[in-house]
Amino acid sequence: MPRISRVSRNFTLAGLAALVVAIGAGRLVPGGLPDFVSGVLYGLAIGFLLGAVLKARLPDPCDTATPALRRRYLREFVPAMAAYVVLVMLSVWLLKRVDAPALRAVVALMPVPAVALALRAIMRFIRDADELQRRIELEAVSIATAFVSLGYLTAGFLQSAKVIDVPASAAMIWVFPLICLSYAFVKVAVSRRYA
Amino acid sequence: MDSRVRELREAQGWSQGELAERLAVSRQTINAIETGKYDPSLPLAFRIARLFGHPIEAIFLPAAE
Repeated sequence: MPRISRVSRNFTLAGLAALVVAIGAGRLVPGGLPDFVSGVLYGLAIGFLLGAVLKARLPDPCDTATPALRRRYLREFVPAMAAYVVLVMLSVWLLKRVDAPALRAVVALMPVPAVALALRAIMRFIRDADELQRRIELEAVSIATAFVSLGYLTAGFLQSAKVIDVPASAAMIWVFPLICLSYAFVKVAVSRRYA
Repeated sequence: MDSRVRELREAQGWSQGELAERLAVSRQTINAIETGKYDPSLPLAFRIARLFGHPIEAIFLPAAE
């Protein structure tokens, strides 16, 4: 379908552009880019390239949900994630300037309500999707969760044997993003069975 | 399971998208039912039967054993 491939191509170009700017500016600017800027650029590059792959591999969203459900989901999910991005940056910035433990807790937890709202949007989408879509979603979520659990169990064994040493905060923060990431790839495989 | 959904839909002159809209499901679901990759639940099968004005057993046919 031409519409999908065009979006996919634009995502690829945007991703490559962000990657080139990140690498190029990192070398040209004396002392390198600030960590925050290069982090955002690499994040955009990964996000766009991943989006391009998924856009090319997953069925068109117009084919997998009724227009009303899709509209409601986007209306609930996009503002929640936009708020999350803003709050997470604000929280990181504030944490460098705040010392009182109670205040640090409040600042560190600022992004959580936004993620909770995004999760609510996802749950409402799955609950109101039609029966085949719900089967695809649930199968993808459960297989993805099983994969991530297996990965964490494996890493946990290695960590207790002192073979690896992953910081606890990184390990805890990455559970949810890893489940989302593997869910995306598993969903490609699951939904192809019904295409 | 084999079904006559495609044949009945085409007889009405509906696209997969139009049938999906009438049944409040996605187009991919209609396609999966028509190609035999997904067997609808009983409630959805009844909705399909009611829409086409045929009994369920005249629309969904068990695959040969």
